[in-house]
This record gives sequence, C-alpha cells and structure tokens, in this order.
Amino acid sequence: MIVYAAYAERATARAISCRVDRFGYGKRSVPSDVFTPLERGQLHVMRLRAFGVACLLGIAALALAVALRERFPAFPTAAILAPVALLLIYFVILAPQRRFRAWGYRLAGEELQVVHGVWTQVETHVPLARVQHVDVSQGPLERTLAVCRLVLHTAGTANSVVVIPGLARATAEAIRDEVRVRIGQSEE
Amino acid sequence: MTPRENGAAEVTTADLHVHPLTAPLNFIKGAPKMLLGLPAIYAMGVRNGRDWGVYGGFALVALVFALVAILFHWVTYRRFRYGVGAGEIVIESGLLTRTRRLIPFDRVQDVDIERGPLQRLFGLATVRIETGGGKSDEGVIDSVSLREADRLRDAVRAGRGSGAATAPFVMSSGNAPLFAMGLGRVLLAGLFNFSLVYLAGLFGILQTFDDFLPFDPYDPARWIGIAKGQIGGRFTAPALLAVLGVAATAGIVFGVLRTVATDYGFCLVTQGARLRRTRGLLTHSDVALPKRRVQLALISTGPVRRLLGWYELHLQTLGGAGTVGGRQPVAPLARADEIAAILAETGALRLPEAGTLQRVSRRHVLRTLLGTAVPALLAIALAAFFRTEALWALLAMPAFVATAFLSRRAHAYASSGDLLFVRRGLWQQKLWVLPVAKIQTVTITRSWLQRKLGLATLTIDTAGAPTLGGPAIVDLKLARAHALAEALGRRSSYSGRKSGTDR
Repeated sequence: MIVYAAYAERATARAISCRVDRFGYGKRSVPSDVFTPLERGQLHVMRLRAFGVACLLGIAALALAVALRERFPAFPTAAILAPVALLLIYFVILAPQRRFRAWGYRLAGEELQVVHGVWTQVETHVPLARVQHVDVSQGPLERTLAVCRLVLHTAGTANSVVVIPGLARATAEAIRDEVRVRIGQSEE
Repeated sequence: MTPRENGAAEVTTADLHVHPLTAPLNFIKGAPKMLLGLPAIYAMGVRNGRDWGVYGGFALVALVFALVAILFHWVTYRRFRYGVGAGEIVIESGLLTRTRRLIPFDRVQDVDIERGPLQRLFGLATVRIETGGGKSDEGVIDSVSLREADRLRDAVRAGRGSGAATAPFVMSSGNAPLFAMGLGRVLLAGLFNFSLVYLAGLFGILQTFDDFLPFDPYDPARWIGIAKGQIGGRFTAPALLAVLGVAATAGIVFGVLRTVATDYGFCLVTQGARLRRTRGLLTHSDVALPKRRVQLALISTGPVRRLLGWYELHLQTLGGAGTVGGRQPVAPLARADEIAAILAETGALRLPEAGTLQRVSRRHVLRTLLGTAVPALLAIALAAFFRTEALWALLAMPAFVATAFLSRRAHAYASSGDLLFVRRGLWQQKLWVLPVAKIQTVTITRSWLQRKLGLATLTIDTAGAPTLGGPAIVDLKLARAHALAEALGRRSSYSGRKSGTDR
C-alpha cells in the first residue's frame, strides 16, 4: 500500500513536472501569448536570402553534374540533381517558415528576452540596465521590405551583440527609447 | 545628475560631418597596398616579352581601381555623420547597411584622441569612444580637426557628470606580498605543465630546412620506408616504451623550462585599488589589475593537483586604457587558503561554503552517456566488422557509465547572496566565482535532445571573457533554469548602478 502511494506520488510529480517542462514551448513555434513574433516582412527577407544561397548551391550542383556527365557518360545526373533539388526546395520554402516562427521577443520587467532557433532553441535574457548602446539598422533588402534590425550592444563577449531582426521601424524605435529610459534610470 | 524626463526624448540629429580632408587622407593611406601589385605586374610584363600594350592595359586597370577607391572614400565621407545630444552621441554611418549608433554618455568609459603621422601633418585627430563592450563596440569618429576633437571630449566628460576621480597611484611601501612563488614552487608548477610544444619546434625546423634535406620530408611513403628499414626486427615492446619514455621526459623538461621562463619570481601585491603582478625570467612582465574591473574568478585544478591540494587561480578583468584585459593567471599554483586570501582582497569574491552547491538534473547522466558511449559503441561495431578482436573494447563500457555518473556528481552550482558559483569537470575541474552584478546576459539553450528530456543549459556571458569557455550550467531542469535566470536578472537589476563594468 505504502509502496503504491509512493509510486503514485512520484507519478503525479512527474506529470506535474512534465506540464511545467512544456512551459509554453511548442514543437516548432513560439506561442504568441508569451513572445511577440516578428514582422511578416522578415519572413520574406529570410526567403529571399535562402533563395540567393539556393541559387548558388544549385549552380554548383549543376556544374558538378555536368562535369560528372562528361567524365562518366553513363552517370545518371538525376542521382545528384534530384536530392539537391529536394533539399533546396526544403531550404527555400519550408525552412524559412520554421525559422521565422521560432523567433520571438518579450520585454519582461527589467529585461529583454529574445528567443530563436529551430533545432537548438536559444533564449537570451538581456537586462536593460546592462545595455551599452542601441543601434537600429537596415540593410538594402530589409529597406525594400520595411523591416529593420534592433541591435543591442552589451559589455559581454559571446553575447556582445544581441540582434532582434524583422521589427517595424516604429516598434524598434519604441524599444530603443524604452531601453534609453531604463539606462538613464539605472544611473539614479 | 540631471533628472531625465520619462516619455518621448527629443531625437538627436546627426548633423556634423567629419573633416573633408578625411577622404583624400584615407585614400593616401590605402595607396601603398595598391603599390604591392606593381612587382607582379612587372613580372607579368616580362613574361609576355615586355609588351607595352600589356603594361598600358595594367596601368589603365590600376587607374580605374584608384578612381573607384576615391569614389568609395568620398561616398563614405558623405554618409558619415555624427551629433552630440543632451545625453548621448549619435553616429550615423554605412554605405549599404545604414547604421545609427546611439551611445549614452553614461556608458562611455573613456574618450581617446589618436593622431597618426598624416593626421598630425594636417592638424586632424581620430576620436575613439570606448564603452564597456570592448573593441568592437567603440564609436570611432575618423578625422575631425583637433579643436573639434577636444570639444567632443569635453562634451562627453561634462555629460558624464563630475567624472570618475581616478584613485591616486599608491606606492606600496614594503607591503608583504599577497602571494609569491619561490623557485621550488615554480619548478613544481612546471612539472604539471606537460608540454609537447617541442614537437612543433621540430616540425618548424624541418620546414625551414626542407630545401637542404636530401629527401622530401612530406612524402609519407618515404617515412614508412625508412621506418620499415630501421625498425624491422627492432619493433619490440621495450624499444617502443623507450621511445615513449624519451618523448615524455622531453615533454616534462620543456614544460618546466617554459613555466620557469614565464613565472619565475611570481609576485602579487596589493596597491590601493589595484593588484600588481610581476613575473618572468627573460621578459619581465609587470601588470596592474584594477580590483573594480575584476569580472570573475576561475579556480582550476587537475586530478593529481586536486589530490595534493594545489589549485590555480585566474581573474578575468575588463581591459581598457593602460591595463591588460582577459583572463590573467593570478596564482599558478597555490593552496586553498592562499586563494581565499587573494579573493578576499578583491573585495567581492570568496570561496563557496562546503555543501551549499546543488547538483544538476540526473538526466545529465543520460545525456552524457548518449554523447560519449553511443559514438564509442558505433566505432566498436564498425571496427568489429573488420576485426572481431575489437569486441574486447566493450570491456571498457562500464568505464563510460562510471564517468558519466561521476561527471554529474562533479557538476554543481549555487547562487548565494551576491555571488554565483559554478563547478564543472571530472578530471580538469573548474570552479567559477561570479558576482551577479557582473553578469551581462543569461542564455538558456535547449538542443533537440534536451527538449525531449525537459532540460536546458544556462550560459552566462561576462565582459572580457575569451572566446570559448564561460560559466555554463549544463542540463538543468527547465523550470529550475527559468527560475535561476529570473533570480539572477532580478538581482542584477537591483545592483545595476553602473553597468557592472565599473571604472
């Protein structure tokens, strides 16, 4: 009886800890009630960048297939081109979507939390009092899609730069002003 | 400090350009690199039989490059703007990626005015604004007039308030050293620094003289042939042991020599607000470590040293003008009480009390096993395809399991008061002592396997750290990781007066 009670207690504890473990983190996406997602424009930026890389890889694969075909005339080029094409389709169409949905940020109390990553999920907590300075920058691609990047510089080494891409300019500047206010407050 | 108004702060306009001479000066500075191509061009011309058409073509190409360079410098000059606002400096720059950098005065550690020879000729100067972040986070205003540079520096210093009064240099008048190493201890430390660096020396010599050797040293078949010829019937166990013994002895001797060369006469003294460390036999090194810039302490030890009670202390400091940065050895070989004394001198640090450290999740064992034992099993299985004797290696598997369990026991942490302690490592054990106020960012990482097991790794970023190796608590239960991150964040914001990178 006692053994059974102990077992039941441990089972419930494990169930509770399971619920706590799945602490709002879905398999692929970050729920928007906890973290704010990025602007839709960033998804297009990611797709375009992936498309650019995919073009280069596709050309390289084509060159390889042509070279092999010249060397070994009986070689089926489809053996190289088919898997590469599938990979590139995943890379351009599916992967950016997953990466985009995995991004999120949250201004929680005295710190800014940024989460990203599909296979390895990385959640960075930056205390606003630790921010050295703030950049808002925009590359040419981002300018055409009306998103910009908020870059927080801290005094750290691995995380000396914390980037939140894909923000609307108004949002980025609002966060930047918030950070400036907090920097000022931390001095008093 | 002037009170700041909440709500919309007025936007500082970046409306000042740098001095117009910047563009031609930068072009002239870059010109010597273009001259490097001339010998190659000449060689090409000679090879083509001194065809003047070739020379003319290359001269045209060089001219085009020069024009492009001038255009580039001119556009960069036009795009670069800066401005001084009520509490900050704004720098706008960039050709393709436009960046607007905002540096509040309070974050500025120092303002340096540098003048290269060309700049001195024309009365210009470069203003370098140092923040706590290190080299990549400076604001650099290239080439303004000297008067403007002084104005900027005064504006920043005035904006920071009365400015931090630097502690006057206190000459130590015969203080007893905080920590010193006699020759005996230096030699002992050398014994622990086994070094195979002499092999690199041998390869270097081979490489320098490979033109003079009668054979090609890079041809492996040649070496195998020599080995076969020389060893032949002499490939016996005693001979092999003798060779290994010689290699080991040479490694020990070189380790001792290297340690004596760097650490001879090691002496650590307190001088007011800084620690001063002198050491070295051939190159005498004299380094000052301001106590307030100490970010964390790292106490490391190896298996034999731990048995004998020896530890090594490094302090991680933030660099800056006039002081060295990074991880500095402060006690290469010391007893625990000596280390405690040094830590007490730094003010904020101390060793953890015994028994306060708590361990990480038990699933760390599982994850370590999956990381080490599974690849080993795969390797054994692969080898067993070729030679069934490889299956004997399976006898080593219990060692993997034992190591995984012991590694989990060795990995522990504690957050007590204003300090965070992290201990990790079975053989090479490291203990991090980290004031919570010096934590810059906290990162919670979850790999695919960790997500399945409900674990997370907590990494802590500090200032002045080397690229690899910061305190990390691996495989915490997710809820604990979040709770710890929250607690650290709360405590660091309470203590957030300056950003923790004190001057």
